Amino acid sequence: MNRIFSAALAATLMFGSPSSAQDLAPVVADVVDHHVLPRVSGFVGAAAALYDTARSECQADGPQLQGRFHAAFDAWTGMSHLRFGPTETGDRAFAIAFWPDSRGVTPRALRDLLQDEDPALRDPLAFQEVSIAARGLYALEFLLFDAELSAFGSDEARCALVQAIARDVAGNAAQIDQDWRSRRADLLKHPGPGAPYTTDAEAAQELFKALGTGLQFTADTRLGRPIGTFDRPRPTRAEARRSGRSLRQVELSVASARDLALRLAAGNLQLVGDLTVAFDRVDQAAARIEDPVFAGVSDVQGRLRVEALQQRINEARALIAEQLGPELGVSAGFNSLDGD
Amino acid sequence: MPVRREVLGGLAAFGVLPAAGWADVGQPAWVSGARDAAGRFVLVGLGADLRERFRVRLPDRGHAAAAHPYLPHVVAFARRPGKFALVIDCRTGETLGELTAGEGRHFYGHGVFSADGAWLFMTGNDYEAARGVIELRAVAEDYRLVAEFSSGGIGPHDISLLPDGTLAIANGGIETHPDSGRTKLNLATMRPNLTYLSQGGEVLEQVELPGDLRLNSVRHLAVDRAGQVGFAMQWQGDPVAGTPLLGVHRRGETPRLLSAPAAEQRLMQGYAGSIAFDSPGRVAITSPRGARMHIFDLVRGELDAILAAQDICGVARSGQGGLVYTTGMGIVGDLAGNSYQFADLQFDNHLIAL
Repeated sequence: MNRIFSAALAATLMFGSPSSAQDLAPVVADVVDHHVLPRVSGFVGAAAALYDTARSECQADGPQLQGRFHAAFDAWTGMSHLRFGPTETGDRAFAIAFWPDSRGVTPRALRDLLQDEDPALRDPLAFQEVSIAARGLYALEFLLFDAELSAFGSDEARCALVQAIARDVAGNAAQIDQDWRSRRADLLKHPGPGAPYTTDAEAAQELFKALGTGLQFTADTRLGRPIGTFDRPRPTRAEARRSGRSLRQVELSVASARDLALRLAAGNLQLVGDLTVAFDRVDQAAARIEDPVFAGVSDVQGRLRVEALQQRINEARALIAEQLGPELGVSAGFNSLDGD
Repeated sequence: MPVRREVLGGLAAFGVLPAAGWADVGQPAWVSGARDAAGRFVLVGLGADLRERFRVRLPDRGHAAAAHPYLPHVVAFARRPGKFALVIDCRTGETLGELTAGEGRHFYGHGVFSADGAWLFMTGNDYEAARGVIELRAVAEDYRLVAEFSSGGIGPHDISLLPDGTLAIANGGIETHPDSGRTKLNLATMRPNLTYLSQGGEVLEQVELPGDLRLNSVRHLAVDRAGQVGFAMQWQGDPVAGTPLLGVHRRGETPRLLSAPAAEQRLMQGYAGSIAFDSPGRVAITSPRGARMHIFDLVRGELDAILAAQDICGVARSGQGGLVYTTGMGIVGDLAGNSYQFADLQFDNHLIAL
């Protein structure tokens, strides 16, 4: 490399230079210490407790096991927007959360494992090599709540599979936690030349992107998939509907998004107020939905309510993109924000 | 709306070059999608002097375009998951016709004409089956859809023509469904590829990167005069991983990946938006997220130059063999330092050389 140009008329705002004079180092540190790390810790603990229980109680109808399953799923959902770095190494997040499953691979992969009494069920290392669709919390949901799969194959095989999944989830959770504590937290809090994040603004932008991507996933996928089209609503595509979690998934992810957005906006009280109003509206729209699995998308009244919730989330997203982004030096570029 | 028959009828009847070609519009050298100050989406023609030659309104946001080899037709494609493509007569700015995606299909935003101008190939999504398709349309029959064949993968995005007539397709590997907006449905299992097809849809060769690069969505293509294919990628994993975003490939060989030094490579943010070759044997990729263009020397296989420009995305070859770029800030410029600032336009992803 020998030449560096700067476009003649483009010596304006570059990525990494926030438009406000706000010092972003404390913002990033606050998010890492009070948003990210507690959520990661919470998930490690809940996943470990799930595995602990599964070792002694592996039947689908075990009351304690179901409770631990919900607690682990809650904890994961609360951090499911933090999809960069530690969660992506070795496809850990995919192994924890294979969803959406647009082709219905998970039930097929589970049936194969159970039918064959696959030796990987009893071999943790081998289990890490089975189809990613048969791993994680969404696969476990099938084994605990699906009418067919909770009774498929032998009791022994199902028990071994429940335990294998719980152990695998706990292992991935522990590795994510380890990576956050040993490396990623410091990288974000102490940017510098030659490091993955060279400035506080770049670190803040990573967290900002996680916020936007997470809310988009909730609006487009958690809600958009069951909404389908007016002519063809798709209630059976609702997330974790077998365990009755679909609405809860939205509520938990929105609560995490609110926490992250308010921390990122901390330097601008006006914006904190506007974001609070926007997220309150989301919560109100969610409270009007009494149906926990969005089955109501097939009738007019129920559909309107789910669409209203999606709309309120999209309004919060727009506010975040238009107002919070510039606070953090994210250029509102036509291409950089929304390329293809 | 069908394409006006009188325009195309002559072509079909006589099979000769029409007298009126690109010269009639003051010789635009490139076209690009853009958004104007009122928020309307347009297709803009740009001359070699970097100034505007024409502007045509689009029904919604466009993506790329394809120029007919000799008719003054440019087809502007909707951004995915759009269902329209407009055939525009650049002599008049008149819309000659609108092509619509079939039942259960949407377009991805790219297409290419065959060298003889008889056929238009477009990438599309058979979304219920999550199957990438290539639509084949007959120019002389009002761009009628005459065939559809598999793209050889999921999520076909860009499509290019090799000098020998072979089609190259960037199967990005990402499944989407219009019900879920632009949500990526299969990141856990995605396997992008570069596929070569005959114009009849026969798979001639497929190139996949090693498994540790399976999250690198092969998205945009450029072809040099010798038939070497450059492919620009979008990394779906950690954006600060500094993964290579550019590959070059010759039929029958192993692809070669090109990367900047690690610290510079990370600044691309895992995202390359457009790609173009220049005549001195270099290839450029742009990153609007990283606000930079990387230009690689193909002989040395190394980064040769960096151009910094906010929200840069479009890049194309110029008539002199150099490179011209566009930005979301309304700038069109070249590497010699010439540039022009549009006050009322933001240029969209791609600049297409005519």
